[in-house]
Amino acid sequence: MHEVAKTARGEGVLSCIQCGRCAGSCPVGRLTLKYNPRRLIEMVNLGFKWEALFELSWLCLSCFTCIDRCPQGADVGEVVFALRAIAARDGNVPKGALAMAKSLVETGHIVSPTASVSKQRAALGLPPCEPVPEVAKIAGKTGLNKILGPK
Amino acid sequence: MMVEKSALVIGGGIAGIQASLDLANRGLKTYLVEKSPSIGGRMAQLDKTFPTMDCSICILAPKMIECFRHPKIELLTYSEVKEVHGSAGDFAVKVVKKPRYVQADKCVGCGTCADHCPVELPNEFDSGMGVRKAIYIPFPQAVPRVYTVDKDHCLDCGLCKSVCNAKAVDLEQEPVELELHVGGIVVATGFDTYEPFRITSYGYGKYKNVVTAMQLERLLSASGPTGGRIMRPSDGRIPRTIAFLQCVGSRDQRFGYSYCSSICCKYAVKDAVLIKEHRPDSEVYIFYIDLRVFGKGFQEFANRAKKEFGVKFIRSSPGEIREDLETRDLTLWYEDTLTRTVKSLKVDLVVLSTALMPRSDSGELAKILGIDTDKFGFLVPSDSIGQPVDTQVPGIVGCGYCLGPRTGDIPDSVMQAGAAAARLTEILTAGGA
Amino acid sequence: MPALGVELVDMDGTSCCGPFAIQSLDYEGWLALAARNLCIAEKMGLDIMALCNDCYESLMMVNQTLKKDEETRDKVNKILSVANKKFKGTVNVKHTMDVLCEDVGFDKIRSKVTKPLNGLRVATQVGCHLVRPKLLHAGVGRGFEVLDDLVEALGAEPVEYDDKEICCGGPLRDIDDHLSRSLSSRKLAALKRANVDCVVTACPFCYIQFDLGQLEIKSLLKEEYDIPVLHFVELLSFAMGFKPEASQLREHRVSIDGIVRKLT
Repeated sequence: MHEVAKTARGEGVLSCIQCGRCAGSCPVGRLTLKYNPRRLIEMVNLGFKWEALFELSWLCLSCFTCIDRCPQGADVGEVVFALRAIAARDGNVPKGALAMAKSLVETGHIVSPTASVSKQRAALGLPPCEPVPEVAKIAGKTGLNKILGPK
Repeated sequence: MMVEKSALVIGGGIAGIQASLDLANRGLKTYLVEKSPSIGGRMAQLDKTFPTMDCSICILAPKMIECFRHPKIELLTYSEVKEVHGSAGDFAVKVVKKPRYVQADKCVGCGTCADHCPVELPNEFDSGMGVRKAIYIPFPQAVPRVYTVDKDHCLDCGLCKSVCNAKAVDLEQEPVELELHVGGIVVATGFDTYEPFRITSYGYGKYKNVVTAMQLERLLSASGPTGGRIMRPSDGRIPRTIAFLQCVGSRDQRFGYSYCSSICCKYAVKDAVLIKEHRPDSEVYIFYIDLRVFGKGFQEFANRAKKEFGVKFIRSSPGEIREDLETRDLTLWYEDTLTRTVKSLKVDLVVLSTALMPRSDSGELAKILGIDTDKFGFLVPSDSIGQPVDTQVPGIVGCGYCLGPRTGDIPDSVMQAGAAAARLTEILTAGGA
Repeated sequence: MPALGVELVDMDGTSCCGPFAIQSLDYEGWLALAARNLCIAEKMGLDIMALCNDCYESLMMVNQTLKKDEETRDKVNKILSVANKKFKGTVNVKHTMDVLCEDVGFDKIRSKVTKPLNGLRVATQVGCHLVRPKLLHAGVGRGFEVLDDLVEALGAEPVEYDDKEICCGGPLRDIDDHLSRSLSSRKLAALKRANVDCVVTACPFCYIQFDLGQLEIKSLLKEEYDIPVLHFVELLSFAMGFKPEASQLREHRVSIDGIVRKLT
């Protein structure tokens, strides 16, 4: 719990009074029993292991509805970013997110344009998508370097 | 130095009334200044008090009359304090008596004027749930029973004047300035209730059947706009399912006040029981985060509410309220944190237990008096442990909710009023501070 | 846009700042990549207009954070020095909607409407990141109703539907596709119940989620909704008299022929 509180955007975890307003607002929580933002904070505070938490933290949509309503500023929607970052440092990142991040560093974009999209760009007179080498340079100077592995 | 053996009490609620009686009974001439047309304050707006379920006005009205009749108390209603100079033992206070446009010594309180007045307005006393006329008394037991003209909304048609048998209406009346010399001042300005428009997920102000607890009190009250029948605003139907939401605007760092208002859990339990008494087949829910029913008899009262009256307590602060556009029924989305399930619940009426906050003009009054207030507007005692009713200015004391949410209930305010009166008496008879 | 008196200048060399992926992996990495884009705009001396809600909010959050917090700004500038860039905090980030509301103004838009959309029943999907968190957007003078207001200004009828404020489910694509689809399916069902002619989004991501999403839902969940999806700029262009053919009609996986017919 305190590790999360010391991580960027995780400070709110200590303010939670477990009122459940976030859980009553969360769209994901209404669709699946798996994900419950209040329960996520509870598990962090109870000291559950990362393996249990990191998968759940990636189910948050970042729709920020919980943040708009949390009376104490615990802001689960912010805390999940801290949880994901801590898990990423240990090498736990979902495949889809990892692919997007790698693509970003290599090409400057999280997805590469498909063949049909490239054709349309040409038809509209738009230049083709260029890679952006500066991105890799900058990423290399941050924690992303360790997470994504050197190029 | 000559010490004025007299006192000024600002605010005519239960705290101010009690302080005035205590001071006057000790032989001190007391001026009781009240901004609105009648004394009584919040207690007059309540139906029953907790946990004894006594009729609120039945306890209050005798005290109001006692104030009115006491030879040592001068009631200055519809008046405001404008300037204060001097120090303990000798304060010079400028009070302005706002014009009622009705002569108090002639008016007999018959109400014929109001019957004929063509203007209808939402009644502040009923928290907007009822109406009054432009010439009015705020509630039936008003003291003094003198009608007042709300000049801002008056059409100047003169009908009231023409029907008044006592010839009491005087539409040319001017404000009167008084200069009072008093030895000490008691601040007893009380609270306002928070109007939760900013908490948009609850739809207050948009959804007709979402009301505040104060509005519910007026619906429950026999002197209220529905004569004590709980008729819901959209269609007048008596609601069968009712949900109370606690901590609306209290314990809220974002859209309200960060403190706990300290009486909402208590009044919600009381109101829930009242509703069950009005309609035993109703389903009443209290959505709470923590049930703060501390003190003598309250936990027991809450237990009775659950076991004897069947009030359902759900540990949850609902995420949002939605309205059915046709029926105006409401759906709550919430997580029951004890069973850990996300659910929705359809109800006929939602009552928001809103925060109690200092009055909007408390800052202005504090400046006039030269006393400190905290970031919310509550009075700051000069020594919160040693002298909890004293302000920074010797000779000025405070009591009641304007000091902040302590236990906040009526006995608490009455006790503080006693303490304030005792402190002032001490200062004035010992010869100034 | 030029028709409304707004000149748009392309930014060269920008990249994605990874609002979902990068922001979740490394806080400073995200700040740095977003700040890089902001620096490009600062060099050009122009405010940024973001087309996508995610880009908009990501850039706006970073812009505000770095403007306010000196310590973080210094840290980020140190990282950016490797690319010879320095964040100064001289520009603002706006969404296309902001440009329409503030810089152009609804009055001007109304005056440019030559083909009012005559009672077209339009549901709006504002998109989470245009309006939440509320406190972040408090300085911008528009709220959740802004897209409804625009629809009305164009002569169409905004229609209420269940779950209107809820997220489209887009961010869960490639993370949990099933949940992502379930969310948009829930919204599409609500739209169907409300009997709308089309849904208009402010966010291109919501657009994809509803448009391409309907094809995916049709084949994987066997549910068919047939609700045309438009981006609000398209709706605006129709009302301003631009020919529907001029917009990329091929891009609409759910056919908008019905709408085009109603409008011509």
